[in-house]
Amino acid sequence: MDIHFEKVNFTYQPNTPFEQRALFDIDLLIKEGSYTALVGHTGSGKSTLLQHLNALVKPTSGSVQIGDRKITPETDNKNLKPIRKKVGIVFQFPEAQLFEETVARDIAFGPKNFGVGEEVALEIAKAALIQVGLDETYLNRSPFELSGGQMRRVAIAGVLAMKPEVLVLDEPTAGLDPQGRKEMMEMFWQLHKEQKITIVLVTHLMDDVANYADFVYVLEKGKIVKSGEPREVFQDLNWLKEKQLGVPTATEFAELLSEKGITMSELPLTAEELADEIVRLSGGIAHDE
Amino acid sequence: MMNKLIFGRYMPGDSFIHRLDPRAKLLASFYFIGIIFLANNWQTYLLLAVFTLFAVSLSKVDMKFFIRGIRPLIWLILFTVALQVLFTSGGEVYWHWGIFNITQFGVLNGIFIFCRFVLIIFMSTLLTLTTPPLELSDAIEYLLRPLKVVRFPVHEISLMLSIALRFVPTLMDETEKIMNAQRARGVDFGEGSLVQKMKAIIPLLIPLFVSSFNRAEDLATAMEARGYQGGEGRTKYRVLHWHNQDTMVMGAFALLTVILVVLRG
Repeated sequence: MDIHFEKVNFTYQPNTPFEQRALFDIDLLIKEGSYTALVGHTGSGKSTLLQHLNALVKPTSGSVQIGDRKITPETDNKNLKPIRKKVGIVFQFPEAQLFEETVARDIAFGPKNFGVGEEVALEIAKAALIQVGLDETYLNRSPFELSGGQMRRVAIAGVLAMKPEVLVLDEPTAGLDPQGRKEMMEMFWQLHKEQKITIVLVTHLMDDVANYADFVYVLEKGKIVKSGEPREVFQDLNWLKEKQLGVPTATEFAELLSEKGITMSELPLTAEELADEIVRLSGGIAHDE
Repeated sequence: MMNKLIFGRYMPGDSFIHRLDPRAKLLASFYFIGIIFLANNWQTYLLLAVFTLFAVSLSKVDMKFFIRGIRPLIWLILFTVALQVLFTSGGEVYWHWGIFNITQFGVLNGIFIFCRFVLIIFMSTLLTLTTPPLELSDAIEYLLRPLKVVRFPVHEISLMLSIALRFVPTLMDETEKIMNAQRARGVDFGEGSLVQKMKAIIPLLIPLFVSSFNRAEDLATAMEARGYQGGEGRTKYRVLHWHNQDTMVMGAFALLTVILVVLRG
């Protein structure tokens, strides 16, 4: 299922003194089965943009094609559920959305809203919980007695339980410890590889973009200022620094090396690429999988 | 959801009204609501209307936002006006049916009530549009100070008020966020039967309460860590200043009252 933005504009509170334009002529394509990253400063419109992905908001002008549905400013608010089932969004700090008495019921809440029977929904909940790395003993506990990291997992399980075709992640690892961060990112990567789920990742962490994404959109002040594969986007370090966007650590280190006279044909993005490059330069044979 | 609401919001600006002392504005608004009941004929209502429009023009805020401020209350106003028109007796009778009748006095009363509502809404919208909430709570604290004599917890109330005001937008954002998150999980807000609508509120309400509890705990800890021990012996960072223009405004209101009393005859 492709998601295609065409000339999307969005204004908050139009026709009031508090009017605020958030998106300007956004053209964007999220291909089925891709791993797309959206990066940009706070307030660049990332979060506004991602609410368009499952029709939580409608564009003020332009259109968003989600699968076979076209969302335009005139689209009716009814009958959007099928879209919401296909496009699951994990919002920033999703633990704030927990409300049920038990973890199991909270995870089953999504599927039940989309018409899955109670029994089946609880089965799905169990599977989703295991998927996010918690065991069955948590099923009957209250979500509010869990730790912050565990709550986050439960909330994410609640979205995964809807079995979305497209998974949108708004800074899913913000506030997690390094271990939890890595586990979570690996889990999303597994989903992407094994179940062919399309992933849209909104993040500030360029290392995650370099490690996982196959396409990047850079947003600034509500406009897309650059797009392409991470390899292209991250080659222009000066541009990134000028825009005060981060640079993957491996790329930054390679840049320092090249300043010292060690020339590389292309700046590496990940630690692995960097290591291979260094081995190659020192005359060894880069390891191959 | 709250997009349409103008009433009760602050619009930054720089005008004569914006620069007034919040105490003057607060007092004046309350006083205005009091003296509006002095008006009882065409001349007095006209005077108040001109006075209000002059104040509105001084604020340099676009008139249409004031008119929009009336919108959420329009049904209440029309309902009250209709009751007045239909049930007041006296004067010439224009129309009569069962217990309903439209009379000269009824129509007159209806128009007056309508004017009264509109003027009160204009004045209070003017107050909130031109005064930042925190200044307003400072003004309330100052004006409540005499109540200390009767052991009224002025500091505590004003602290609660300023914290509440500070967190209104935060809570609104939070509501919006949780609403979106639940909609993404398949909740339909505001659809279906009344029971269904009420059930749909639970996934919004519980997280909101929980996050308020958490926020209150965090805030209390942070306040204590910064040495807050209660109202006694605190100094103030924001100090209100009473200028000549504030006295002038008070004078204008005194003059208005005198003219009103004369005109009502």
